[in-house]
Amino acid sequence: MLRLLKIDLTKLANYRAFNVLIGLYAVLIVSIPISVIEFLKWLKVKGAEFEGFDPMKIPVLHFTDIWQNTTYVYTFLRFFLAIVIILSVSNEFSYKTIRQNIIDGLSRVDFIKSKLATILLLSFGSAALVFFTCLITGLIYTPNLDYGDIFVGSEFVFAYFLDLFAFLIFTFFLTVLFKRSALTVFMLLLYRPIELTIIGLLPDNWDFIGDYFPMQALTRLIEIPFPRYWFQEIQDYIAFDAVAVVLVYIVLFVAAIHYKLKNSDL
Amino acid sequence: METVLSIKNLTKRYGRLTAVNNLSLEVQKGNVFGILGPNGSGKTTTLGILLDVIRRTSGEFYWFGQEPTKEMRKRIGAILETPIFYPYLSATKNLEIVAQIKGVSKDNIDPALKKVELFDRKDDNFKTYSLGMKQRLSIASALICDPEVMILDEPTNGLDPQGIAEIRELIKSIAKDGKTIILASHLLDEVQKVCSHFCVLKKGTLLYSGLVDDIDKGIINVEVGAASGNLEEVLKAYPNAAKITEENGKFVVELKEGGAAELNKYLFENSIEASHLLTLKKSLEKQFLELLAESDNAA
Repeated sequence: MLRLLKIDLTKLANYRAFNVLIGLYAVLIVSIPISVIEFLKWLKVKGAEFEGFDPMKIPVLHFTDIWQNTTYVYTFLRFFLAIVIILSVSNEFSYKTIRQNIIDGLSRVDFIKSKLATILLLSFGSAALVFFTCLITGLIYTPNLDYGDIFVGSEFVFAYFLDLFAFLIFTFFLTVLFKRSALTVFMLLLYRPIELTIIGLLPDNWDFIGDYFPMQALTRLIEIPFPRYWFQEIQDYIAFDAVAVVLVYIVLFVAAIHYKLKNSDL
Repeated sequence: METVLSIKNLTKRYGRLTAVNNLSLEVQKGNVFGILGPNGSGKTTTLGILLDVIRRTSGEFYWFGQEPTKEMRKRIGAILETPIFYPYLSATKNLEIVAQIKGVSKDNIDPALKKVELFDRKDDNFKTYSLGMKQRLSIASALICDPEVMILDEPTNGLDPQGIAEIRELIKSIAKDGKTIILASHLLDEVQKVCSHFCVLKKGTLLYSGLVDDIDKGIINVEVGAASGNLEEVLKAYPNAAKITEENGKFVVELKEGGAAELNKYLFENSIEASHLLTLKKSLEKQFLELLAESDNAA
């Protein structure tokens, strides 16, 4: 597996689009909390009157809220990594290098494994970056830090990892299906609105099915946390059934990729 | 003799089209085996099946007497159609990927690049290469694992005469190392110059399989020219002549037996001094066209 990962990384390491996208993604991860803090500071300096309320006291980036808040926002950045995967896989088809890889002695399963290894590495690396960004941001900005609270809610980093991993595998599947990068990006953007429309059209007594659609299950991993600041109730835990559904989808997508590649002429 | 490749009743259908039809072949160790056929005769499809990039409809094939696996492919150096590499990577990086896939040392990269004379350009991106350089790089990539078998599909396609000559020399020098080479081509001259064995495919069906050296055997044709006016009459009187045809003022005599020497002696005895006397080698081209024509007549 490590050998297969190395092969795929050799392909990507000197690929400019890959480096640019990964770099941009990392910069965004690190800079979002900084910009939010700077924005709050700016509000304060501007002397914005919130009826005597200090904007720096909104606990968006304080332990324990920070974990769910940031990971929720970060899930929107997954498109950057999705494009990395789309390019990495569609290039293999457009340059026909998948064909040459197999001629040279890779099996079709090896090829899938090497791409999955990269997806796993990207998801894991990204989750690690998110974890440390949150940890450091929280340590800096939380007033009256209680060390017992630091890791409360950090399970959302795991949810973020799972979300990214499943989303990238879904992207991998779409790319194997459509082969061309532009078409795949288009389909990926189109998919979620289609899913939402179908969910919206479900009759009331069939409503629960909506939760089992792939992208819906992903969004249920990290629910939107911000309504809590206007005193609404939110889901501040990871729903177990959402995790189960996502895991099932990961298996299904990998099986579909395998089926598609196993039976096709390259 | 060790059998490197044996194909049994291999068939590939694309819907109603049969690209490879019940093909059976054997390639022995050390052969330089040419697969001939017009465009679209199923050469590349056959090689694609042998290398697992195309799914067969039915039939079997064995590499080194065993069921094909990815481990077999690691012992084969192969290029199908155009050279395929990552355009944004250098030659060295591209070959590193091949070396990793084949599980061979990266130390093999530089010698392979030297052999095809690309060492000076090894750090340039593949996309900056000329077609001839791309072809040579794919040969380097096929050489990297010191393969027991090389499969080359139209290796001189699109090259200039000098490039063609270079690739041809390269193939000959590889063959001299005792490697088995399978070469698909529609260039007959190429196959005749480098191959020991050949087969002819048409619409996926095997028309002929045999030795390149066997082509010359059998009927001998001698081309004769002389200043004397009664050459034709004298030739017609020659007992060993089976057929005489006139071509551009010279006569081509098909001999029942004997060779050019006997014919010359006969002419001299009849007081004709030949100014032109040439034993015609039957070219692969002629044989090939005859085979295709025969199959057309049969159909």
